[in-house]
Amino acid sequence: MNIENDLTSIQYTVDFVDIDDSPGPFCMSFGFELEPLIQSIQNVGMVNPPLLIQKKSGTYTIIAGYRRIRALKFLDIKKTPCRILSESRVSELECFRLNLHDNLATRVFNEVEKGMVLSRLTSLVSQDQILNRYMPLLGLPSHSEKFFFYLRLEKELEKEIKIHLAQGRMSLQVARLLLEIGRGDRNRVFELISALNLNINYQKQLIDYIIDISNIKRIPVSTFLAENFFSDILQKEGFNKPQKVKALFHSLRVLRFPTLVRAEENFSKNVTRLGLTKGVKVSAPPYFESPHFRLEILFRNGTELKEKLRILTKKEGLEVLGNPWKERV
Amino acid sequence: MSKGFIKKVTMEEGALQYDFSRKILKNLRGTPVTERQPGGEKTGPNDSTMGKDILHLLPYKGEFLKPCPGTTDYICCGYQILNLGTNCPLDCTYCILQSYINQPNLRVFVNLDVGLKQVFQQIDKQPDKIFRIGTGEFTDSLAMDPITRLSEHLLPLFSRRRNVALELKTKTTRVEGLLASKYRDRVVLSWSLNSPYIARHEEKMAENLDKRLKAARRCQSEGFILGFHFDPLIHHPGWKDEYLKTLDLMDKYIDPKGVIWISLGSIRFMPGLKPIIRKRHPNSRVLDGEFVTGLDGKMRYFKPIRIDQFGHLRENLEKWHSSLGLYLCMESDDVWESTMGWSPGETAGLSRYLDKRVVEFFG
Repeated sequence: MNIENDLTSIQYTVDFVDIDDSPGPFCMSFGFELEPLIQSIQNVGMVNPPLLIQKKSGTYTIIAGYRRIRALKFLDIKKTPCRILSESRVSELECFRLNLHDNLATRVFNEVEKGMVLSRLTSLVSQDQILNRYMPLLGLPSHSEKFFFYLRLEKELEKEIKIHLAQGRMSLQVARLLLEIGRGDRNRVFELISALNLNINYQKQLIDYIIDISNIKRIPVSTFLAENFFSDILQKEGFNKPQKVKALFHSLRVLRFPTLVRAEENFSKNVTRLGLTKGVKVSAPPYFESPHFRLEILFRNGTELKEKLRILTKKEGLEVLGNPWKERV
Repeated sequence: MSKGFIKKVTMEEGALQYDFSRKILKNLRGTPVTERQPGGEKTGPNDSTMGKDILHLLPYKGEFLKPCPGTTDYICCGYQILNLGTNCPLDCTYCILQSYINQPNLRVFVNLDVGLKQVFQQIDKQPDKIFRIGTGEFTDSLAMDPITRLSEHLLPLFSRRRNVALELKTKTTRVEGLLASKYRDRVVLSWSLNSPYIARHEEKMAENLDKRLKAARRCQSEGFILGFHFDPLIHHPGWKDEYLKTLDLMDKYIDPKGVIWISLGSIRFMPGLKPIIRKRHPNSRVLDGEFVTGLDGKMRYFKPIRIDQFGHLRENLEKWHSSLGLYLCMESDDVWESTMGWSPGETAGLSRYLDKRVVEFFG
C-alpha cells in the first residue's frame, strides 16, 4: 500500500471540534512528553500534517498525528491543515499500517506502545502474521510467549504502572514480576515503590523479596504487605527516604536470608573484635562461596608495611578468622 | 504412566528414512503423525506444557557424545553425555531442562546408528581411557524406553566394550526392556532419589520412592549393578528425618555391596529458572531456601546449608555401608573436605576415583 499511489488523500484545514481526539483505534502513543513537540511547532510550525479519516458522519478520526493535535490544542490553536482519507476507500488494517510505519520511521516505541500495537493487531491479522511480520518490525523476537506477555502488559497493568514503564522508570523485568501478582497486591507493591521512589534495581529486589517471603511464609502477598513491619519502617520518624529504603531492605534480607545474614554479622563481629590497625582490612568473599578471604593493607612505604605486618602477625585471635559457622567434619 | 501419554508424533522431514523412526512408530500405532519442516515449530499459548505429550522425531546434527557441561569453579565427575534425545515427560518442578532446553516436545534423535558409530570410534580409539557415559542428563533414560526400546539397542553395544560404563538414570520403573536383555556387563542402572516429601510434591509424575527402589531391587537381583543419585537435595521442613526415610527404604530393598556409586548434589540452577518455576509450579517449595549466587553464576544454597545436607546424608549412608562410592556433584574442595573428610582436589581426581569404582565392579 502506498498512500500517494493507492489511496487518494486530500488536504484541507480541519477545525478541531470535528476531530475525535481520544486515543482512537490507530493510536500507538503512550507515556510521551509533549513539550519537545510543542516547542517544535512553536519554532517552525506544523511540518507534517496529521492524517485523518473522514467518517460517514462527517467527523474525523486520527490515523497518524495524535500527539501533534494534542500539542496544537495545548497551544490553543483551533484548526490545522490535515490530510484526509475517505472511510469508504481505506480499510482499518490499512489505516493501522499507515500509522505504524509513520511511527516506525521516526521513533522507537516504548514497551507499553509495543503492547498496544500487538493488542490492536489481534483483531486485524492472524497470530502467525503478528509473530512473523509485525513483531520483528517492533524489534521483538517472533516468540508467542513474548507476544502473550505484551498483550498482558497492555491489558492488565494499571495506567500508573504503565506510565512508569513507558518512561523508563521501571524495567520490563519488573513489569513482568508485577504481572505475576494479583491486581490488589500489585497496586500495594507499586505504592511502596512510589512512596520510596525506588530505582529499577531496588524495584526488582523488593518484588523478589516480597514474593519469596510470602511464599516461604505460605501467606498471600497482601497479608505480608499488611504486616506492621512495612508501615513501621515507612513511618519511622527522623528517617529520610534513603534511610527508610536501607532499613526496609535490611529487614527483608534478614527475613529472606537468616543464615547468611547471621554469618555475615558473626564474621563482622569477629573482625571488629580483633581491633586491626587502621588501614588494615579483612573481608569475606561474596556469600562465603569462595574459600578465600581477603586482606588489604594500606601503606605509604615499605617501612610502614613492615610495621603493619609485624603488628598483624603478633595479633592474638587471628585464628578466629574463617567461616563463621561450625564446620561439620 | 503408560505409553498413552504420547498424544501426537511429529517428524522432521527425512526422519522416516531411519529404521529407528519406523520402530518407534510401530510402537505407537494409532497415534496421529504429522510431518514438519526443520525448525518450523512455533511455541503456542500452551507453552507451559512444553509439549510433553508430543514426540518429535528428528535427526540430530550435533555430536552425540559430549562431556557433561560441568563448571571449572567446582569439582565435577568427568562424565560423558550420550545425547539421544531431549526433554522429559516427568515434569519435576526443579528440572533445569525447563530453562536449559529452548525447544518444546519430547525429542528423540533417530539417526542413532550413525551417531553411535562415531561414538564407538572415539571410545575404541582410546582403550586405556574409561568412558563413564550416561543418557540421563537431558532426559530420563528410561521414561520412554517402552516406546523407543533404546535399552535393547544400547546394552549389547556397550556390554562388549572393556573401557566403558553406561549409566541409565531414571525416576521410573520402566525396566522391562532391560530385564528382557541378556546383557549386564558395563551397565549401571541408577535411580534418582529424594526425600518422600520432595518425591510427593516436586516429582509428581515420577514413580514414588517405594516403587523406584522395588524396581532397583528387581534389577539388582537380575544381576545389574546399581547407582543412586540424591540430586537435587532440597531443604524443606523436617528434611533430615525425611531423607532418613529414603535411606530406610534403600536398606529394605537394596544390597549396598552392589552399589557402584551414590552422588549427592544440592539443588542448583541458573537464575533464569526461578521465574519459570514460579510460573509453572506456583505451589513448589524448591525456591524457599537461602539461595546465593555460586562461583559459576548458578543459584545454590548458602554453603553451611549444603554442608549440613551432605554431612547428614554421608553420615547416615556410611552407617548403611562403608563403601558406597559416595561423591559430591559440582562442589568445591572445601565443602568436600568439611563433609566427606577428604577431597579429590579437582575434576581429574574425582574422575580417577569413579573410574576406579568402574574397574572394581566390572574389571
